[in-house]
Amino acid sequence: MDFQTAARLGSLLAKDYAEDIFELLVNYQAISASEVATRLDLHIKTAQDFLEGLAELGIVSKEEILEKKRPYYRYVLKQERIQIDIDLMEIKRKPNPDHLSMLIRERENAGARFSVARSDDTITSVTIWSGEGREREERKIKLTTPQGRFLYHLPFPKAEPLSVGGVMQKAGIAESLAPEILDLVQLLEKYRVIENLT
Amino acid sequence: MYPIRKLKADRSIGGLIPVLGMLAIFGLSTLLFDITVGLLIGAVMIWIYGLYCLFVFLRMGNLGYLIVCAYCLFLGVMAVLTSQNIEGGRDPDIQFRVAWISGVIFFGVLLIYLAVTKKIKWRGREIFELAAAPVESAGDGYTPRPRPIGKVEFSKQEILAFARFAAKNLISIVYYGPRQVTFVPVKMGDEYTHPFRLRGSYHEATWINFDFEGEVSVHIAQKDYLDYQEPLEFDKLCESLGQLFIEFVELQNKGEGVRIIDRMDALRLNYFS
Repeated sequence: MDFQTAARLGSLLAKDYAEDIFELLVNYQAISASEVATRLDLHIKTAQDFLEGLAELGIVSKEEILEKKRPYYRYVLKQERIQIDIDLMEIKRKPNPDHLSMLIRERENAGARFSVARSDDTITSVTIWSGEGREREERKIKLTTPQGRFLYHLPFPKAEPLSVGGVMQKAGIAESLAPEILDLVQLLEKYRVIENLT
Repeated sequence: MYPIRKLKADRSIGGLIPVLGMLAIFGLSTLLFDITVGLLIGAVMIWIYGLYCLFVFLRMGNLGYLIVCAYCLFLGVMAVLTSQNIEGGRDPDIQFRVAWISGVIFFGVLLIYLAVTKKIKWRGREIFELAAAPVESAGDGYTPRPRPIGKVEFSKQEILAFARFAAKNLISIVYYGPRQVTFVPVKMGDEYTHPFRLRGSYHEATWINFDFEGEVSVHIAQKDYLDYQEPLEFDKLCESLGQLFIEFVELQNKGEGVRIIDRMDALRLNYFS
C-alpha cells in the first residue's frame, strides 16, 4: 500500500462514526447511504462520502439500483479484514551519485544565522529569512549532529567549492547518512544559503 | 621600513573613556562641593580602576596590571591624605611631599617602562594585522560561520602552556573548556568589557579554538572583519588567523615564545591602538 492510499484509509478510519458504519456493512448484505444515515442519525452527505471513500479504496463494492424514482447505490462489503501495510523503505531516498558529486559552497550574503554548539565544532541550527517586507518570515531549522558537522565544514562563500561527498568526508560523516545530508543541501539550496556550482 | 597596515587607523577613544570619565566626575564634584570631596571621589574612582587592574592580573596573570593596581592604590591613598590636609588647613609636611614625589617617580618610571615595552598592551590589533599580512586578494565572502582549520598534533599540556603564555602577554583572553581551549584576541579599547565576559558569551567575538583532540577552528566577528581597510578574502583570512595561532603554539613549545612578542612588536603599532 502506498503512503497516500494509507493516509486516505487512515483518515476514514479516524471518523468517530467509522466503527458504526462498518458494523452495518458487516451485518447487512447491502446498504444504501440513506439507510446508513437514518440508522446512525448522520447527514446523508456524511454517510455518502464515507461509503464512496471506501468504494474508491476497494473495501466495498457499489451497485446501482434503478427501482425508485431516482437511481441510487447500495454498498456491499468486499473485504473481511483491513490491513495497512506500508513499506517505509519505498520512501527512503537513495543517494544519487550525481547529487553527491554536486559542487557546493555557502552563498555570499546568504543572510542566514548559524548557531554554533558550545563545543565550537558543530552547528546546531540555521535561521533563514524569506520573503520581503510584511511577508518576511523567520524560519529556524534545527540540525541533526551529522547535518551540523556537514554545515560546519561547508566551504565559505568565494572559497573553492567542494562536492557534497567531499564535505562529508572532511566532516567524517558516514556515507549511509547521505540521505539526511542531501535533504539539508536541497533545503538550503532552495533558501539560497548554499550555491550549487556544478 | 614600516610594514603595510591592513587595518583602518584606530580612531576609537574607548580606552580613554574611563580616564575621561574620572576627570569629568572629579571636576564636577569639586565644582558642586569642594576640592576635598572631589579628591575623595577621585580616590574612590581610582581604587575602582585599581580593582579592575587586580581582576585583570588575576584573570590573565599579567604582572604589569598588578603594578598599575599598586599605583592606583598609592594614588588613591595620596588623594585621601591630600584631602585631609586641605580640610585641616595644614600644609603638607616634608614626609608627605617626599612620599608623594618618590612614589610618583617610582611608579612613573615603571609605567613608562610598561608602556614602552608594551607589557600591558592588549595585542588584538597586532593579531589581526599579522593574520591579514599573507592575505593579498580582496574578495569579501564574509560568513558568521566558524571555519575548521585542520588537525594539529599538539598535546593538551602544550596547548595549556601556550594558553598561559597568551593570557600573560595579553595576546588573547583564554577560555578553558572540558574539551578545548578558546583564545579571544582583544584590541585596545575593548579591554574594559572583554575580560568580564563569561564562557559561552564570546561566540559573537573573534575566537580561535583548539580542542584537545587537535581540531583547530576559527571565527572572525563581523565587527573585526569590517575593521580592515579592504574586504579581504574571508576564507583565506580565517585560515591565516588559524595558522598564525598554530605557529604561535609551535614557537612557544620550542621555548621561543619571545619570538611571538618580537613579531608583534615588529609591527610598531603605538601603545594605544
